[in-house]
Amino acid sequence: MLRHSRTLALLLAATLFSSLSLAGPAFENTAIVRSVELGGSLVHLSTTYAIKALEPGQTVYHIALGKDEREKTSWIEAKVKGQMKPLAITELGEDETSTAHLLAVTFPKTLAINGTVNLVLETIQTHSTHPHPERASQSDPQLLKYNTDLFILSPYTTLVQRTKLKSPSPNIISYSTPEGVDGFVRDGSVTKSGPSITYGPYHNVGPSVNLEFLSKYQQPISVHYNFDHPVLEITNLERSAEISHWGSNLNIEDKINLHNAGPILKGHFSRLEHQSQNFFRRLSPHILSDLTLHLPPGVTNVYFNDLNGNVSTSHLRPAPSVPKASKTHQYSILEMRPRYPLLGGWNYSFTLGFDTPLQDSVSWDATEEKYIVGVPVMTYIPGSVVDEAKVKIILPEGATDIEFISPFPALSSTISTHITYLDTTGRPAVSLTYKDLTERHAAMIFVSYKVPFAAHMKKPVAVGGAFLSFFLFGITARRINLRLHK
Amino acid sequence: MPTAYPLPKDLSPAIVTNTASLLRIIALGLISGAAIASRLFAVVNFESIIHEFDPWFNYRATRVLASKGFYEFWNWFDPTAWYPLGRVVGGTIYPGLMATSGVIYNLLHALHLPVDIRNICVLLAPGFSALTAWATYMFTKELKDESAGLLAAAFIGIVPGYISRSVAGSYDNEAIAIFLLMFTFFCWIKALKQGSAFFGTIAAVFYFYMVAAWGGYVFITNMIPLHALVLLLMGRFSSRLYVAYSTWYAIGTLASMQVPFVGFQPVRTSEHMAALGEHSSSMYQLIFIHLTLTGVFGLLQIVAFAQLVRSHVSSKQFQELLVSAVISAGVMGFFAIVALTYKGWIAPWTGRFYSLWDTGYAKKYIPIIASVSEHQPTAWPSFFMDLHFLIFLFPAGVVMCFRALRDEHVFVIIYAVMASYFAGVMVRLMLTLTPVVCVASAVAMSSLLDTYLDPKEPDTDEQKGRSALVGTTSASIGTSATAAPVAAPKKTKKTKEKEAPVAPGGVLGDLVSGVASSAAAAVQASETASTSKSTKGIFGLDTRFAVIMNTIGLLLFFVLHCTWVTSSAYSSPSVVLASTSPDGSQHIIDDFREAYYWLRQNTAEDAVVMSWWDYGYQIAGMADRPTLVDNNTWNNTHIATVGKAMSSPEEVAYPILRKHDVSYVLVIFGGLIGYSGDDLNKFLWMVRIAQGVWPDEIQEPNYFNKGEYRVDDRASPTMRESLMYKMSYYRFADLFGAQQPMDRVRGQQVPAKGPTLDYLGEHSVGFRCRGNVSNSSSADEAFTSENWIVRIYEVKKDDILGRDLKIANAFSEGKKRKRSKPVSRRKAIRGW
Repeated sequence: MLRHSRTLALLLAATLFSSLSLAGPAFENTAIVRSVELGGSLVHLSTTYAIKALEPGQTVYHIALGKDEREKTSWIEAKVKGQMKPLAITELGEDETSTAHLLAVTFPKTLAINGTVNLVLETIQTHSTHPHPERASQSDPQLLKYNTDLFILSPYTTLVQRTKLKSPSPNIISYSTPEGVDGFVRDGSVTKSGPSITYGPYHNVGPSVNLEFLSKYQQPISVHYNFDHPVLEITNLERSAEISHWGSNLNIEDKINLHNAGPILKGHFSRLEHQSQNFFRRLSPHILSDLTLHLPPGVTNVYFNDLNGNVSTSHLRPAPSVPKASKTHQYSILEMRPRYPLLGGWNYSFTLGFDTPLQDSVSWDATEEKYIVGVPVMTYIPGSVVDEAKVKIILPEGATDIEFISPFPALSSTISTHITYLDTTGRPAVSLTYKDLTERHAAMIFVSYKVPFAAHMKKPVAVGGAFLSFFLFGITARRINLRLHK
Repeated sequence: MPTAYPLPKDLSPAIVTNTASLLRIIALGLISGAAIASRLFAVVNFESIIHEFDPWFNYRATRVLASKGFYEFWNWFDPTAWYPLGRVVGGTIYPGLMATSGVIYNLLHALHLPVDIRNICVLLAPGFSALTAWATYMFTKELKDESAGLLAAAFIGIVPGYISRSVAGSYDNEAIAIFLLMFTFFCWIKALKQGSAFFGTIAAVFYFYMVAAWGGYVFITNMIPLHALVLLLMGRFSSRLYVAYSTWYAIGTLASMQVPFVGFQPVRTSEHMAALGEHSSSMYQLIFIHLTLTGVFGLLQIVAFAQLVRSHVSSKQFQELLVSAVISAGVMGFFAIVALTYKGWIAPWTGRFYSLWDTGYAKKYIPIIASVSEHQPTAWPSFFMDLHFLIFLFPAGVVMCFRALRDEHVFVIIYAVMASYFAGVMVRLMLTLTPVVCVASAVAMSSLLDTYLDPKEPDTDEQKGRSALVGTTSASIGTSATAAPVAAPKKTKKTKEKEAPVAPGGVLGDLVSGVASSAAAAVQASETASTSKSTKGIFGLDTRFAVIMNTIGLLLFFVLHCTWVTSSAYSSPSVVLASTSPDGSQHIIDDFREAYYWLRQNTAEDAVVMSWWDYGYQIAGMADRPTLVDNNTWNNTHIATVGKAMSSPEEVAYPILRKHDVSYVLVIFGGLIGYSGDDLNKFLWMVRIAQGVWPDEIQEPNYFNKGEYRVDDRASPTMRESLMYKMSYYRFADLFGAQQPMDRVRGQQVPAKGPTLDYLGEHSVGFRCRGNVSNSSSADEAFTSENWIVRIYEVKKDDILGRDLKIANAFSEGKKRKRSKPVSRRKAIRGW
């Protein structure tokens, strides 16, 4: 019976795939297991595809994501299970029937017929949860809702698939039960054990990237759970990194618009209640009172201010500077407290900046006679998502042959001129824009550039020239007598 | 010629002048450095931040100027100030300060020095203080000489009376105005001395700059004509005076009319000054009649004409002509003034003017003027606090001006008299006194130092002859201890020892002469006075040493005092408060900025905030929200409206709030941490100002309990029902749990349960603990800062069902409405 149904499904898949431009049912998913770690602004998904090749010489495997899902997904990484090196992913865009978004993964080596491989797809979704109820008072807990689709899409037949949603706290308020999936189910369509909910296993799911399957079986599921940390959203991040060879300094300044995306405060903020909550250490989870940031080692001149000036409520525990090559992971720790506790729906914009020694981030490539500088895309604020980010790397005046490598594709990149102190012609600046950044995006942008000796000398010559002309003017002016009467 | 100490002989005059010039430049440079450095306490102790209240407006206006350009700034209508009236900013300010910063900003940016506009504003006052030191140097140089100039520059550089208004961050008109004042005076003196139209023009240009920068320009407007008048009366009319004054008057008056805020005031307002309603930071009064300005100009023309006539007619005829002309001119002038005043062409005297003559005037009639602390009469200790030993040297310097009494000395004397009087009347006018005190003291001290540093020993012809004679005898006596190089002073001393009635001989005599030289000098002076006339002077090194050490000591104490006063009294931004914890570490109390920033980030951009007028500029600057009233106190009624809302019960206040579209009400409450400058302490001024407009509804005595201002159990009922009281203490008692709540500012125990507002017996407000839901009927607490200093309340919108909010509240709390006392339903305020 089982075999029969499987062949039937295969046949079905074959006929369906003939309509797609894909190269037939080259693979079969023996199992797909997805585990979802429910969070606040970020939700981590890890999907393992157990793949069996049905045809020889296959290297390209297609992964399908729902359209909605693709929009929410900001970080994608595919690996062969047990290996460190991520696989190359090509975005194919939407399929012809525009039911799903397809990605092509290339395996490092070809699969023989019936060869198997375990592919792990790690993705991070942003903006996939929302507070429910939308308003909460100062002492209420923070309840979030996560919506997703029941079936994991795949252009191939899947023998068994399962989705496990794990909540950080055991307090799960509710979850939806799928309907009309009896054909796939043997034990139960959904089970809950402690903080996790498992949908499936669902057996013998045919190729799902087609309208028929989607309209018939696909359905939204949602989990309503308790979340114990503030849901932070950085609506706008502007980072500028200024390299100074004369000062041997790398200055990094972030302009951050922070928004508490948790439930909007119901009623009003009561300081009295906040103080008593603070006193009894029972601060409601959606209130952000302080942040702990990891700054690079060797930071100096850390400043934290906003439009009204310096914010004096922060502590810094600096770590000494470490050489570039060293493996030790040391951080300077900045404990910062916004001017006021950030309740649900509130905003706080601020500027955070610091200096680091240049030798910690710049190295000299003797073969190409170029400097290479590494600037992190951002300083990650724990539990936050960055909606829009703009990173501007300001190179020394007169830098030429500028090349840059972004750790992941940028939305746009431009090279402009930035003029600051004692500049004559201005400095070249590389600007990159990104959106929906997560903790995994806090990687390095590498920029390489040449600075000729003449460019290094520009500043002293300009300053010296200015002073010289000033003194010359003084010397001459003193010796000219403009009086009419002697 | 004998000298007290050896002087190098073989120096060419060129070297001496060049060295002196170099030393002067270095000294001026160091003085500038000291002037700037001593003003940076506020930046070092706190941060680069704009201070207090008015500077926040100036800063905001400067930001508009820097970001949008001058024309935009000039035509700037600010709809957020004085909601809903708005304010034509370009026409109601002195733009000099903002224009100065704007020019500096653009200049630096053109030079690729992208300095933040905030830092320019913060550091403008210290920078200009260095220029003030230079201008004072130039001014004093004209009075006496360069050394007096340097002393004056050093004094003005660090004297607290000037620092109080020019520390870094004190971005107010006075920051640049004192420089302009001194420089205009310098140019005037120079023009007068040389009869120079060129310097007269420069004086007029700087006068224009001053008019554009500070309301205190009226001080110049009145000082220069008065000076000219006095010179005239002293019979010192000269063509130099005529040229200087005519140039200055013509160009200066025309130029000053170009400032829109001043406009035609120079010819229309009789006291030629900001009237009551105008910019409060403008400075007022120091005033005689504006007519002096034009009057003196006319008089000069007449006198010049008279001189011309005199040279053509006989003196008898001239006298008759003069008498008749003076009488007829006087009569006609009087009638002209009466007619003009009657017609309303010349504005009558305004309140601030009267408050200058009668210090009690303001308190009696204009509470809003009296409510400003810097309008109070000066307390005596503050003279010493602000001027230290200069206040003692000052009269000496003025007296010395009488000795020379050139034209410029007359100027200083008039300045000294006028400024002294006005500084006594109003605290803030200490600022105009300070420069003249520095100048006069520098003249006095420099004279003293000149006398005692001068190496020349007094000697007469007679003495000269004798000293040679005695020189040989003293050598023969055998006082070999005296060395040859310093023989000259010793010799003279010995000479007088010889001559002294009780002349001890030998070594002992030498000793005595050394110790009691000053006494001996006096003796000798009196003695020689009988024999010869011109032997007054200073004898010996020790005399000089004693006096100069004393002087240096005084100067050192002056520096110490200035530093101490500056660091402890004048360098607090008052936006940020600092407290010291028991272990000595500094703790910053930053409630103002916390609350303002909350307003800025988390309220609608057009949400109107009502607060007492003190905080208007800060709210506009830091929170960027519209305010009902601000520190530009031009509309007394509007301020009184806010005062009334604050001092009325909620039922009365609510319609006022709704009428003015108020979304948030902000009060300052220091009761928790003991911040004494809070609104409850200012509350009586609100009551008084409101009473001035609504004497039937608000009466000050109602807020007292048997003459005592109380906030505890014995607070008067009116007090307890006022919006201000309720907003200050809303849920305050809950903070203390079971303990007795204590207001640390007023040192009174606030009722533990809190008074309940239930005059109808069905409604309770605020103080009753009702778990999480505790609402006052018309407003609810929206935000309270960390130390409870700033409390912000949101004004509720009208009830959806059109009920009175109080009834609606009672209903939602499940209370039954009593039938016996029907509540009249209030009409809908907005809408139709």
